[in-house]
Amino acid sequence: MECRAALVLSFLSAAVFCQGPPTNGPRSVDAGWYALVNGSVTTAPGAPARTATIVLRDGVITAVGGPAPDGAQVVDCAGLSIYPGLVEAFLPIDVPALDPATGDLHWNPMVQAQRHALEGEGVAPADREGLRNLGFTTVAIAPSGGILKGTSSVVLLDEPTATERARVVRAVAYELCSLQPNRNGYPGSQMGSIALLRQTLLDAAWYGRCAATTNLAPGLLAKAPQPSATLQALLDHRGLPLWCDSTDELESLRLLQVAAEFERTAVVIGSGMEFRRLAALIASKAPMVLPLQFPEAPDVSTAAAIEQVSLRQLQSWEQAVTNTKRLLDAGATVAWTTARMRDKKTFRTAMREAMACGITADQALAALTTVPSKLLGIDARTGTIEVGKLANLCVVHGDLFDPDAPIRDVWVGGRRHRLEAAKDNGLDGTWALSPWPAADSSATTTLTIDGQQLKLRTGEQDHKTAGVQRTAQTLEFRVESGLHGNTGPAWIRLQREGDGLTGTVRADLERTFPLAGAKAPTPAEKPEKDSKPKAQKQPFVPPALTALPTPLGGYGLLEQPAAKTFAIVGADLWTGDERGILRNGAVLVRDGKIVFAGPREGLPALPPGAETIDATGKQLTPGIIDCHSHTGISRGINEGGEAVTAEVRVEDVIDPDDSNWYRQLAGGVTTVNQLHGSANAIGGQSSTVKVRWGVLDPKQMRVQDAPGGIKFALGENPRRANGSDSNPRYPNTRMGVEGLLRDRFAAAETYRRERAAYETLAPQERAKVLPPRRDLELDALAEVIAGTRRIHCHSYRQDEIFMLCQLAQEYGIRIGTFQHVLEGYKVADAIAKNAIGASSFSDWWAYKFEVYDAIPENGAILRDVGVTVSFNSDSNEHARRLNTEAGKAVKYGNVPANEALWFVTRNPAIQLGIFERTGSLTAGKDADLALWSGDPLSYTSRCEATWVDGRQLFSIEQDRAARTAVTAERQRLIEKALAAGSGTGKKGPDAKDAYWAAEDLTADYCCRDAVGGR
Amino acid sequence: MFRSPIAWLLGSLLPATMFPAASASAQDLLPKAPPQTAPIVLTNAVLHTVAGPVILGGSLWFLDGTIRAVLAADQKPELPAGSTPIIIDLQGKHVYPGFVSAHTSLGLEEIGMVRQTVDTDEIGEVTPEALALTAVNPDTTAIPVARSNGILAAAVFPRGGLLPGRASVIQLDGWTNADLAVRSDAGPVVSWPARSFGTPRRGRRSETPREDPATAVQKARQQVTDTFTAARAWLKARTADPSIALDVRHLALVPALRGEVPVFVLADQLEQIESAVLWAAEQNLRIVIVGGGEALLCTELLKRHKVPVILEGTHKLPRRDDSPYSEAFELPAQLEKAGVRFCIASGSDFSQERNLPYQAATAIAYGLDPREALAAVTLRAAEILGVGDRLGSLTVGKDATLLICDGDPLELTTKIEQAYVKGRQIDLRNKQTELAKKYRERYRQLDKR
Repeated sequence: MECRAALVLSFLSAAVFCQGPPTNGPRSVDAGWYALVNGSVTTAPGAPARTATIVLRDGVITAVGGPAPDGAQVVDCAGLSIYPGLVEAFLPIDVPALDPATGDLHWNPMVQAQRHALEGEGVAPADREGLRNLGFTTVAIAPSGGILKGTSSVVLLDEPTATERARVVRAVAYELCSLQPNRNGYPGSQMGSIALLRQTLLDAAWYGRCAATTNLAPGLLAKAPQPSATLQALLDHRGLPLWCDSTDELESLRLLQVAAEFERTAVVIGSGMEFRRLAALIASKAPMVLPLQFPEAPDVSTAAAIEQVSLRQLQSWEQAVTNTKRLLDAGATVAWTTARMRDKKTFRTAMREAMACGITADQALAALTTVPSKLLGIDARTGTIEVGKLANLCVVHGDLFDPDAPIRDVWVGGRRHRLEAAKDNGLDGTWALSPWPAADSSATTTLTIDGQQLKLRTGEQDHKTAGVQRTAQTLEFRVESGLHGNTGPAWIRLQREGDGLTGTVRADLERTFPLAGAKAPTPAEKPEKDSKPKAQKQPFVPPALTALPTPLGGYGLLEQPAAKTFAIVGADLWTGDERGILRNGAVLVRDGKIVFAGPREGLPALPPGAETIDATGKQLTPGIIDCHSHTGISRGINEGGEAVTAEVRVEDVIDPDDSNWYRQLAGGVTTVNQLHGSANAIGGQSSTVKVRWGVLDPKQMRVQDAPGGIKFALGENPRRANGSDSNPRYPNTRMGVEGLLRDRFAAAETYRRERAAYETLAPQERAKVLPPRRDLELDALAEVIAGTRRIHCHSYRQDEIFMLCQLAQEYGIRIGTFQHVLEGYKVADAIAKNAIGASSFSDWWAYKFEVYDAIPENGAILRDVGVTVSFNSDSNEHARRLNTEAGKAVKYGNVPANEALWFVTRNPAIQLGIFERTGSLTAGKDADLALWSGDPLSYTSRCEATWVDGRQLFSIEQDRAARTAVTAERQRLIEKALAAGSGTGKKGPDAKDAYWAAEDLTADYCCRDAVGGR
Repeated sequence: MFRSPIAWLLGSLLPATMFPAASASAQDLLPKAPPQTAPIVLTNAVLHTVAGPVILGGSLWFLDGTIRAVLAADQKPELPAGSTPIIIDLQGKHVYPGFVSAHTSLGLEEIGMVRQTVDTDEIGEVTPEALALTAVNPDTTAIPVARSNGILAAAVFPRGGLLPGRASVIQLDGWTNADLAVRSDAGPVVSWPARSFGTPRRGRRSETPREDPATAVQKARQQVTDTFTAARAWLKARTADPSIALDVRHLALVPALRGEVPVFVLADQLEQIESAVLWAAEQNLRIVIVGGGEALLCTELLKRHKVPVILEGTHKLPRRDDSPYSEAFELPAQLEKAGVRFCIASGSDFSQERNLPYQAATAIAYGLDPREALAAVTLRAAEILGVGDRLGSLTVGKDATLLICDGDPLELTTKIEQAYVKGRQIDLRNKQTELAKKYRERYRQLDKR
């Protein structure tokens, strides 16, 4: 506990800095005492600039104002502005992964929690210089790679000396985590990453409780968990803020959720696209560390390219620059970071553009000084110019926020770093060299220097040069033989002196003589190879801060629709209850609930202000329910890294931005069972959501009181029979699947018993036993055994269906649904007895061997034998027309039309355990409704309107208006992108992150297909 | 109502046990239909001729597999003297031409994910010698499944590579490949390289390296051009000097070079369609666009060059996040309005051919005239495939390839009751209907039902 987490503050003064190695020879004494005079000083954000003297001594500010002390070296800063040194809160650096040979590592390589930033090579020289050039003096470095990555340190952006590698401001500032997947195994999906993060943090807490128990009862040590450096480190870090390195705004919300579960103070390291989920992020109150990387303009150079660009992409491009402004206006705490910038040199320009959206200089300065200092816990030492704080300063020719104002110096812990000298080399140009001794020719030799490029010519003759070595001030090169009759090479060294160059020539290894150069008129420029005229730099015009839709892109909502009071009258009602189809009915909706659904003449008097929708000749059905969907699941529908992944939760990764939600609303869909894929025998926990398009927080899509679900999978997919996976993973047969399931049920039962036994112990008795470890995988399976979590089992063949039925009987489990269940018709009696229902495809077959016996009468036969049957989509495309999929039960098997519609309304509601609230037109239920132009079982009908919880989220009229708006907005933005100079649009934080670029995770094992998405 | 001839035949000659449920077999175990021997007269029917008006109470008769007359209510059939006609009173039921599936791999595949049963992709980028008909399995289980919903003819396409082979139009009943053929060589297929090169639609991944997409696409298109140029040169040389060696690939392209068959060009994106149409004009080739997802963006060009489009279904997701949800549903109506000639294919897996009529029905919900929707899966398809003289409408002289049903076959709840392929009444049962029977029997035994 006392080691790293004790937050050691190492001290900086050279006089006190004595832990280093012994000095080799006499000490080198630097008084380190300076007075910066005549500068215009901004001591802190919000403080007016005033002329004052700043005294620095031993790396610390000792006075602000007052006279310059006699002993101090005076630095004249007349005409210059002095700001507090800037603080970079996040610089990922390479820290070596832990060596497996050292033993007690975490089993998963993505957990590297005991790493510490100072164990690495520190800040790379180029980063040190690059950050200083922008005015930064302090940086928090953090280990890159992994999910729990380790801890960060705050160091000064100083050059290392013989005795110190880095001057440390705060040894341990924060713990860093991300959701980076493991390319070579578990976790391979975002939900898997979240599960691993959650389980590991739980393990650390348990490890701590075990240690506390064994301290009091050493007799238990034999049964105690093995020592783990990782868990110990995590235990030690509990008091540290958890910084969440996120590649997009939804990932931020997910990491914040986990942080909240563990009561950790969280800070978001964002992507720059936070404005797209502004409200939910603001509600978290988490501070944001934001990059200023704006995407390039999308490619709109050709008609074909325009067809590829989406409105969301265009809007993201236009609005990214407003990100900070929007967050600040909403009350967020924002620090800026140069992290994620491809070219950090553009930082100040980006900052200027962000500020043009309405950010004040004080806000900007705070985002670079006081805010990051506070987040890093170093505000007592950095962030402002105050006596006692570190001598970190930024000295600018003018305004720090003018990208064209050069920074002259940065002071880092009292050490001066001159930026201008390094920049101004003064060597470039054309120089006439002084006459060469003993040269026969009177011709002048000229030397043209352009960076590393040299041109040496005498008269019309060019000389070959080589070995060019160029520093800021000096130039050295070699001239091959022939110069002024020289027989061998000549070595030339030149430096700037006054208006000219001086240097020496060493010719023929023997002779050395001085050389001088005088500015010569530049010879006529040859036309440049790249003759494109350079684009005139356009003055930056910030976009208007108009309200943005949620989700961003086409068809998003500007405000949440109201749950109105309204009646739909005249339609035929497909009630979904025992009343069947009621001709000429009426439905009254209030506060999101159905108040009345019945014959039109029974409609109660409408409250004042209630709207009446005349639906004469139309058909009203309950909202469609899709019992098998993979819509709106971010970054991987399969956690295929292990054969059993009951610990992962689809509800952790609900993607409310998926445009398929809107498309499904247009097909009357209101409720969806979001399932994990079928890559493993026991997959992740499913998520029952309503299609609440436009919600501010993804969590709001969940059906709160829906019973939990979990995906199981049998047959070819968990066997991985159709993949080309060379890595063998158990199981490889249906026999192995059975063995694995049996083993997990047994484990879950033991687990449940042990936990229950512990819960019954009195506190004093608990102290005498080790606490049971909480295991998220077995938690979920224990719920299955307890009957509170429903199995939704991917299955095809009769033998595997029968197997699970038998296993379920042994464990007293009632299965939720068999999914797909295409040979269900062969064992319908077993299904009727052991499962709540069967959720099938209407007529798919022959896409793989195990579905060769699939028949379209499957649903009808199952129903006739007494099974509650639903038809599902398992496809973003099919999901939009589940009504006609239901119609196929009429076509194949003569199910009455009314009951056929149950296959996509009432029955899936029963299967998902939500029939109490939805799935029929019954008073008291949620007003989830779909209105159809004609028979809902006909392909020639279309959905005209859809309500979720009484909110109209789709109608043909609304859609028409939205289409017009999409076209107009696209037009505007494409013109703007053209004016901005259309780019490739590939760069910027919105592009696929490197984590994910290697593979498209959604195209993994799914249900119909081993490799495609179906 | 007369018993249908096949029912009569089967009822007397073939006990039901002749059709055991074929659960473990990759084969269709049902016998093919016997040849038509007597004139068959369908009377008292609603005749959906497609080429002409709907005839209420009409009658139609056919002999030797060919429609001999389509008659109004008040017209009497003039049957050959001495023949013994089979007269079937349809009691107001509907007669439609069989559906024509315009783009499928039916017969070339048995189980999508079992590689040994997938016979669609030849090795190499240019393999026009590969003729679909050669590899169609007349006993595939997928054919009886498709035809049970009225799909009576199909254009079978090889796939993969730049020129995967040649399409064949088949009728969906026959003992041998020869029996199946309607048009053995319907035309070569070109998978037109797209800007987003590497994944031609429905094709396997291209072998072309991905280093520079623009160059790769240019090269690939050049390869297509070179292929036709070389074939043309070979044809010219061989015409002049027959001793020049046979080149099966060049030979395969000759009908297309002579304009006897179209080239089927798989192209979905605007740039693909535009460049393909212009390429065809330059090459003096007649083409059909297959795919046509963005055809609406270049309707004038398509009309100017008289290029028809085989749309790959309507049950497709919009192209972009911000595209209208119903984009693909509306496309047929919009193309119709713009005057582009098109038909609708199933755009789906070979096992889903039976849903072809519903691809057209969805277009009705989104603005397409119902008659045009029907034509899009019958007559238009037949015409575009070059078999308009034999299939696609109830017209004298065409094949008696037709179906009888109790309503509009574009409606799900309509049942196909009988079907004829070239005058032969086919068995509408299939492996799936027999499996259903088999297991209904199980529950009967269990006294469940």
